Amino acid sequence: MEKMTQDQVRTIANMLRKRSLWMIHYCTGCGAMELPPTMTSRYDMSRLGLAPFVTSRQADILLITGYLNVKTLRRVITVYEQMLDPKYVIGFGSCALNGGVYWDSYAVIKQLDRYIPADLYIAGCMPRPEAIITAFQDLMDLIDSGKADGYKRYKRDLAYYKENQRKVLG
Amino acid sequence: MNMSLELLLATPFIGGLLTYIGGKVHRWVRNLIAVLFSLATVGEMAMYYNTTFKGVVWGSLFGSNLVLQTNPITWLFLFIVTAISLLVIVFSIDDMKKEEDEIVLDSYYMQLLFVEGAMVGIVLAGDLITFFMFWEIMSWTSYFLIVHGGKKSMAAGYKYIIMSVIGAYAMFIAIAMLYAKTHSLVYSDVALALSQASPSFIIWTVVLLSVGFFVKAAVMPLHTWLPDAHSEAPSPVSPLLSGVLIKMGAYGLFIVFYGLLSVNLAKNIMPSVFSTPILLYIIQWLAALSIVLATFLAIMQEDAKRLLAYSSVSQIGYVVLGLATGTSLGVAGGLFHALNHAIFKGLLFLAVGAVIYRTGTRNMSELGGLVKKMPFTFTALLLGIIALAGVPPLNGFVSKWMIYEALIQKKEVFLLIMAFVGSTGAFLYVYRLIHSLFLGQLPEKYENVKDVPILMQIPIWILALSTIVYGIFPGLAMDVIVKGMKLFGFTPIAYNLFGFPEGTAMGSLTVINIAAVLMTAFVAVFIIFILFPKTRQVSQYDNYASGQELTPDFKYNYSFGFYMSFGRVIKPILSMSIERVYNYWIDAFKIFGDYYMRRIYTGNLETYNSYIVIVVTIAAAAVLLGGKLW
Amino acid sequence: MVSTILIAICVPLLAFAIGLTFIMFKLKITARVQRRYGPPIIQPIYNLLKLLLKEDNISHGVIFSLGPIIALAGSILAVFFIPIPGLNLLTGSGDLIALLYIMAIGSLGMALGAGNTANPNASIGISRALTLMFGYDLPLVIIVISVILQYHTTNLADIVAAQANGHWTLWTLPLSAIVGFVVTYGALGEHPFDIITAPHEVATGPMVEYGGKHLGFLMINHMFHIYIEIALFVDLFLGGASNLFWFYIKMFGVFFIMMLCDEVFLRFKIDDAVRFFWKWPTVVALISLIIVLVK
Repeated sequence: MEKMTQDQVRTIANMLRKRSLWMIHYCTGCGAMELPPTMTSRYDMSRLGLAPFVTSRQADILLITGYLNVKTLRRVITVYEQMLDPKYVIGFGSCALNGGVYWDSYAVIKQLDRYIPADLYIAGCMPRPEAIITAFQDLMDLIDSGKADGYKRYKRDLAYYKENQRKVLG
Repeated sequence: MNMSLELLLATPFIGGLLTYIGGKVHRWVRNLIAVLFSLATVGEMAMYYNTTFKGVVWGSLFGSNLVLQTNPITWLFLFIVTAISLLVIVFSIDDMKKEEDEIVLDSYYMQLLFVEGAMVGIVLAGDLITFFMFWEIMSWTSYFLIVHGGKKSMAAGYKYIIMSVIGAYAMFIAIAMLYAKTHSLVYSDVALALSQASPSFIIWTVVLLSVGFFVKAAVMPLHTWLPDAHSEAPSPVSPLLSGVLIKMGAYGLFIVFYGLLSVNLAKNIMPSVFSTPILLYIIQWLAALSIVLATFLAIMQEDAKRLLAYSSVSQIGYVVLGLATGTSLGVAGGLFHALNHAIFKGLLFLAVGAVIYRTGTRNMSELGGLVKKMPFTFTALLLGIIALAGVPPLNGFVSKWMIYEALIQKKEVFLLIMAFVGSTGAFLYVYRLIHSLFLGQLPEKYENVKDVPILMQIPIWILALSTIVYGIFPGLAMDVIVKGMKLFGFTPIAYNLFGFPEGTAMGSLTVINIAAVLMTAFVAVFIIFILFPKTRQVSQYDNYASGQELTPDFKYNYSFGFYMSFGRVIKPILSMSIERVYNYWIDAFKIFGDYYMRRIYTGNLETYNSYIVIVVTIAAAAVLLGGKLW
Repeated sequence: MVSTILIAICVPLLAFAIGLTFIMFKLKITARVQRRYGPPIIQPIYNLLKLLLKEDNISHGVIFSLGPIIALAGSILAVFFIPIPGLNLLTGSGDLIALLYIMAIGSLGMALGAGNTANPNASIGISRALTLMFGYDLPLVIIVISVILQYHTTNLADIVAAQANGHWTLWTLPLSAIVGFVVTYGALGEHPFDIITAPHEVATGPMVEYGGKHLGFLMINHMFHIYIEIALFVDLFLGGASNLFWFYIKMFGVFFIMMLCDEVFLRFKIDDAVRFFWKWPTVVALISLIIVLVK
């Protein structure tokens, strides 16, 4: 009985969460260029309940907009750990996926997923606003079905992530 | 009963002497005697609750009787004096332990009791000679107390005593003028004589007496000694100075204007503005200026005790502003605020004293985050600042409300605006105080700080609970004040235990309803709050700073120059300083003095010889002529 | 007795509901002015519930958690002192002057809570908030005094009653009403007075460390705050109302104008904001006060 109510609460909560996604204004790379058009009149992402917020405590989504170098990774991890559960990460653009044009740079992180758990990637260099909005809609579906569980994976595999982070950051 | 009034006066003085002797035996004997005698004074004071004695002659000087008297108004001030003194003495036991030299401590306790005795004497005095005598004892003993605070306090105490002496001279001249006229300085005789005196005589005496009281009450522009003296004094002494001693000035003003000179008389001899005699109106303006300017200065302070000292200047402004309205409501508000200010300012100084005791600094930018280490002191200080800021349902609000309503009734709008502004400004500096001391980042060096010992907490908590009691039950104080004011010819105001019904002022007030609704709302919101998912405690370094990791070696939160941007706004006001005017005159006087002193004290032996010859000649001539020279 | 309890529960809920609808309209109005479609109308409810249902909440200490609770309790207390149509509530227990100080409890709670973090943005935000409060307080007290002198009472219910039959303060004291509008606007912290939360400068200032249910409670407090400020303005200058519908319409009218203003201004620097409040609104309010005194 109790489990059932808990499940119901979680279903309702997920329904609410997907309708109100706040993302933190933390622009790591050039991909952030594509966000202003997404926010403003033409594409207006607030239709979907998305809104930009400024601190990690208030935000639900961490957008890794573009390449991540070692120096930024440290900040990104801090910000990610400060965010409150449930939290979601979107890898934005090809740099977050595989390093993109910086694939052979010594200072750039090639694969985001090794350091923090990403729930979703958007391919493209850079992704168009349409792609971003589609990605957010996909994320909503994932949240609704309870599959956006990056924050749970981070807790479960903390040792793995910490080990990888230590290797890069020293 | 007649005897016991003198006993009440004598108890602290006897206690002071015994304390000094007891200190030679053992320090605990001394502490016990000091506490017992101040407790005895409180007990004796309590016997006079709501009683009136007119004139117990205890001696005579220059053909004028020396009289002790008591009535509910004096009881109110007696209550402030004796209660705060007791708490201060209890607080001192632990706080002054750091003083190595036991002899210094012996005299410290003696002086504390002497100051208490002198203030009891001032309040009980029924004639101006007794009043002046104890006034001087108070000035000198409190000077010795101030200079206990270390090197800097010497200069502060010097400033204090110089200004006090100037005020005392002014008072002395006024008293001498009155004596020349009446040959009896008992209040009732003086009042009778004043009622037949010429207006110019009355104005001169009243102005001179007021100067003396203004110095003690630290009303601008005669406040310059206070910030130094109150901040440099030892922490247990500051509440006595700020909470009680400056109230003696307010008490003196009350006696002069409503005891010696009734309001009706004042109205007859001088023109009125807003139905206030012009002299009282000027006093109101000075008080209002102190409220606003001292608030501005308090906002800009970096030193916790200096901030509180400036806030005292501002709050005593409310007391004087209320007393000078001349209406029942205003005067009652002023008297009530005197009591309230003694409570919350005593509390604040003691709480800050507790922080200084544990951390050894009162520089606000070096402190922070102590709420985790000293939660009890924090809670008490929180009550104190809420009371000071005049937020319901604590006590500072009720008395300020009365003063505002009295000013509205008289349509003295500009004074009212200044009073309001001072009160909002109080928010700024009290928040600065609690934020810099207790909130924000805890520096690493205070990691092992504990809350203060129980003997220091008891006085703090008695005062903290009083802020609640007198806030929710203002009728407790009104019982005394209204009964006392009736004796001075005021029409009694309507009140009940919880506030003021319709008709007293332009609105009504029932504090218990505010308190009850606030508590209910708080409990309801709290219950709803804990129904939602649990909260996890994080370290103070786990903070959002754009991804930057905070480290203990740096202070992140904003604690130095907290209101710097506001300081830019009020820069033109801050750059004015009455102290510079005083210093200019002091310098001018010094140059003048040097020049003429060298003309007289030439350093030449022959000149001095000739002076002797001249003086002897004049004296001889005077003797020979039998005083016919003049 | 039952009716008393009912009123005690319903009035805060009413205030909350009004505040909530205003926030709903605010998002939509903002969007339409910027030629966007805007979020769904019930977006604030989603936001609020999502925050309250966050699985994880952090706290920097007891005072940090108590801050939003004190703020909300203070706001609920203030609601009971503002007369609404047909109900004078507790206006007999505390008058307009008491209300001005009761309204400060909310800011105090918020400041205490935010102060309990070691965050630089939070302390800068509080410093700005208190400074701004000091700024708009001066014109505020002057217009409050002019209204009190106009009606010879400090009881808010009597002030509302005296404005019956269309004798609004807005018509009798237009200058005070204009200043009252500016001050209310400043107290709500919209552009150009959003110096306190300024997301681009101090990362929402006092709220920087608040997330989850704490932030949810602060949002509820903000809704109450909107209700209190605007209801007070309506009671003082627009003559209250005869029924709830007109009360709501008047409040909405005021709020609507404010939202339009919000869209066209930039942001003040904090000392400029204080200078602004101490210059024009104060001068105009003083003129109005002198008119009342002479009359």
